[in-house]
Amino acid sequence: MEAKTLGSATPRKPVLSVSARKIKDNAADWHNLILKWETLNDGGFATANNIANLKISLLSKDTIGLESSSLASDENAEKEHPEYSRELEMLCEGLQTTLDALTKIQMKMEKLSSTTKGICELEDYHYGEERKRPPLFHTWPTAYFYEVSRKLSDMYGRELRLKRTVVEQLAHTADRDLALSYLSMWLHQPYVEGDSRLLLESMLLETGHRAL
Amino acid sequence: MTQDQPLLAVQEALRKCFPVVEEQQGLWQSALRDCPPLLASLSNLAEQLQAAQNLRFEDVPSLRAFPDLQERLRRKQLAAGDTLLDRLGERLAALLKVRDVVSSHVEHVLQVYEQHADMISLDAVLQASAASPSVAEMLEWLQDIERHYRSLYLKRKYLLSSIQWGDLGNIQALPKAWDRISEDEHPDLVRDILLNVSFFLEE
Repeated sequence: MEAKTLGSATPRKPVLSVSARKIKDNAADWHNLILKWETLNDGGFATANNIANLKISLLSKDTIGLESSSLASDENAEKEHPEYSRELEMLCEGLQTTLDALTKIQMKMEKLSSTTKGICELEDYHYGEERKRPPLFHTWPTAYFYEVSRKLSDMYGRELRLKRTVVEQLAHTADRDLALSYLSMWLHQPYVEGDSRLLLESMLLETGHRAL
Repeated sequence: MTQDQPLLAVQEALRKCFPVVEEQQGLWQSALRDCPPLLASLSNLAEQLQAAQNLRFEDVPSLRAFPDLQERLRRKQLAAGDTLLDRLGERLAALLKVRDVVSSHVEHVLQVYEQHADMISLDAVLQASAASPSVAEMLEWLQDIERHYRSLYLKRKYLLSSIQWGDLGNIQALPKAWDRISEDEHPDLVRDILLNVSFFLEE
């Protein structure tokens, strides 16, 4: 009997509590959502790239046109090349579809954060002021899961806002540097910070999705 | 019989060396093949950095809602650049390794030759047959091969060490500069030499 107690120096609950299971599922959801986001980002970049190229080729046609008629403008160029505008329109619709899908993902991320917050509140209610709370997994206090979720959700939320701007503006910009910068923003995702990967991986490690 | 012994020792060393060259040439080629796409990405990235640099973000109404965007974008672009440079660095290290492996094997053959040189007649060294080039020729080819790897490695290392984020024009021109090095090199040198010794190796 004594030996058995010694053998289980680190008490492991054989079955995860409801909260732990929920948090573990959430961690897996985070992983999947970010993976989907990245796939959509890649696909969206290809579309955005096509839009920018088409736009730039239209602009250069426009410049050639300028030599003969100084009145030519961006809109005129599109009118003069209806086949291009149709293609442009289709590409823009494609990018909008990608943006819609990204928006859905970000909403799911928000939901993950709020359920994690709910679990924290439930624990607060359960333990009250009691200081000694056993961690659900290895070392993380439950509140830390919410902190990480919140951080990730905020990053992707801001990134989504930027992407929305890119989708709205890309096809209307007449400036090559600006078009290229929009593309670069889409690709490099400046609001998804470098440590997001680390946050996600450590959450997967803590919840046992990744082996130590 | 004993008179042939020293010559046989050198031929033996040559027979061991050329297959190593062949194997290393494969590694060299595959490391080289990886580079142009990486350089193209780097050049493309330099173009993006240049575009963002030319732009006054505060003058673009739709971007005013993102005050820290320019700095964030630049940081991400440079991080992507570092990843590309790391990968190029790995390829360069692979080229260096080929250079060193080939050098050490060629050096070994030359050592074997020097050890026996006094005992091999000049005629024997210069004697070629229908199937086999002379020992002198083969030793010279090995030295050509060694020089070839040395010089091409150096040129590429020099080119890549010239990369600075402060000089975006230079980075944008990298793919062309790289191609120029490739044009300068004797693309079939190693292959031709290996063809010339193929019968000798089968003997």
